[in-house]
Amino acid sequence: MKRMEHIIAVGMVLAVALIAYFITHTWALGPIPPVELRGIAKLYLRGMMSKTTPFYVSSPEAVTSILWDYRGLDTLYETAVFFLAIIGSVTVFRLLREHEHMVEEHRKEIKVPGMTLIVKLITKLTFTIIMVIAAAIALHGQITPGGGFQGGAALAVAPLLAVAALSRYFVEDVGLKERTALALRTLGLAIIGLIALVPLMLIGLGGIAYFMQNLPKPWARYVGFPQWLYDVPLGGSLFFYNVAECLAVGAGFTVLFLLLSIPEKIYMKVIEGEKGE
Amino acid sequence: MYILHLIMTAICLTLALVFAYLAIVSKDLLMAVVFSAAQSIFYALVFYLLLAPDIVLAYVAVSVGIYSALLVFIIRKTERYEKV
Repeated sequence: MKRMEHIIAVGMVLAVALIAYFITHTWALGPIPPVELRGIAKLYLRGMMSKTTPFYVSSPEAVTSILWDYRGLDTLYETAVFFLAIIGSVTVFRLLREHEHMVEEHRKEIKVPGMTLIVKLITKLTFTIIMVIAAAIALHGQITPGGGFQGGAALAVAPLLAVAALSRYFVEDVGLKERTALALRTLGLAIIGLIALVPLMLIGLGGIAYFMQNLPKPWARYVGFPQWLYDVPLGGSLFFYNVAECLAVGAGFTVLFLLLSIPEKIYMKVIEGEKGE
Repeated sequence: MYILHLIMTAICLTLALVFAYLAIVSKDLLMAVVFSAAQSIFYALVFYLLLAPDIVLAYVAVSVGIYSALLVFIIRKTERYEKV
């Protein structure tokens, strides 16, 4: 058994070494980092940099521009997939209203919830730091690497830490219940949908516009989200999408963590079958 | 410079492989989650070396924070040690 494990380990290392050797020796990946741009990359970069092209985005961040402008529909569908995944998890793990009193009873059983004082103090400090970092990632998504999903995922780590170290009851006392988080998530999704639909409302006024339009185009010049806030580039609708996506993703994950932190014995009691046959 | 990048990538990926192996063979599932998180950190470094900072930001938060936490929740609901 022990020898078999050693053989597997050496075999894995050898396999990876061989693959790495052939990839690098035959220069299959080209130089890392790459020095040449492909045609589509040139198109995107020109669109971001030059105001004269019809595909101007006004954001110096290529990835966010592609995510929410050039390939905006992809990201919209991706958000929809995430939305459905969270809805599915909530449906599986939620407690019915008539079972919620069990959580309250469990809460009364525990005298001092959470971990030791040291862990609690450190968690309170890191909680703030993580929130600030998440806000920076999401709000600067149109200038520096980052964006809505990245910021939201970082944001979700903060309540997760609080649930782990300070217990779910502390998080509930602060005011972050499952329903609140669900409402926040729905609010984020609603904002995304609204910003995507705003240009279409202008069709009613007689102009030409298209779904998820960001800045004015020569053929649809009536739609334009703000490009600058004082001296900060906003990238048109990118900023608003990023903020809303951050809210939706962060709150979505938080709902999941709050539901998963319900003790297993409550679930066991809820799904208890009937006695007898 | 390219050679340096390649060497750093190779070191990171080798260490990630070691941690992946440890995560697979570990009978203590909580330790397996820790090994898996360590592997994710090295993957994040590789993403950074491959000039994908956007992926790094999402990957670190999801794979080290959220994914590990989900698995820890699941272990708490089931059992910590794997029985052969």
